[in-house]
Amino acid sequence: MSFLAFALIVISLITFVAAQLILKRAMEFSARNGMRNLHFLSRVALGVALMTVSFFLTLGLLQRFDLSYLYPFQGLSVIFITILAAVVLKEKLSVRLTIGALLITAGIVLVSMS
Amino acid sequence: MQNRLSGFGNPWLQLGLSVACVFVSELLLKRGATEVAAPDSTFSWTGINGLASPLVWWAILLIVASFVSWLYVLRYIPLSVAYPLSRVVDILVPLGCWIFLGELISALRWCGIALVVIGLALVAKPIAKMEERL
Repeated sequence: MSFLAFALIVISLITFVAAQLILKRAMEFSARNGMRNLHFLSRVALGVALMTVSFFLTLGLLQRFDLSYLYPFQGLSVIFITILAAVVLKEKLSVRLTIGALLITAGIVLVSMS
Repeated sequence: MQNRLSGFGNPWLQLGLSVACVFVSELLLKRGATEVAAPDSTFSWTGINGLASPLVWWAILLIVASFVSWLYVLRYIPLSVAYPLSRVVDILVPLGCWIFLGELISALRWCGIALVVIGLALVAKPIAKMEERL
């Protein structure tokens, strides 16, 4: 795999993870303050924009690699999102949840190696 | 609270719907991307040439649907629970590739899929307790 392909996979991963955190924050905000305000709408717009970037990068990669090979890279997002949900969003992580997320990530990495 | 979370408004049902839409959209995207693949052109790295395929547009429709369900899920379920669970697609997609796209799954890949299943079971088990708290 070329450096360009690797870089594009990483960028599509980062934009996707960032979008999830921003959207979760926005939905929590909307539960308290409603949806008709600039704060909520701007966050959702940013989340959608980031997901769009991630989407088109993936579409470019799909033209070059098998889906079953490429797709699991997104699975690495499980571990990033679980950790960042605990650190940034202050969600509680149980031992069980952490082990579960680790196993899912390990499984996904195995799939993409094969 | 009780009313909003039952029936179609049940966030777990919405999580399932979101996953189903993502699963189908991934297979459609691969089909669509293959249809219009132009690996020699640099522009095609942006993926935008994929829009020439009708299958890609159907996939986009499903992605928008899954996104709406997902936003609803985010409102009620912690991200650290909802997101690992949503990765059940990482099993569905390789299986779908095998069944519908004729891609091969090696022994190692099956092992990886098994690990994901165990991890999902670990994450999903305490949910019964969480439901009571909701």
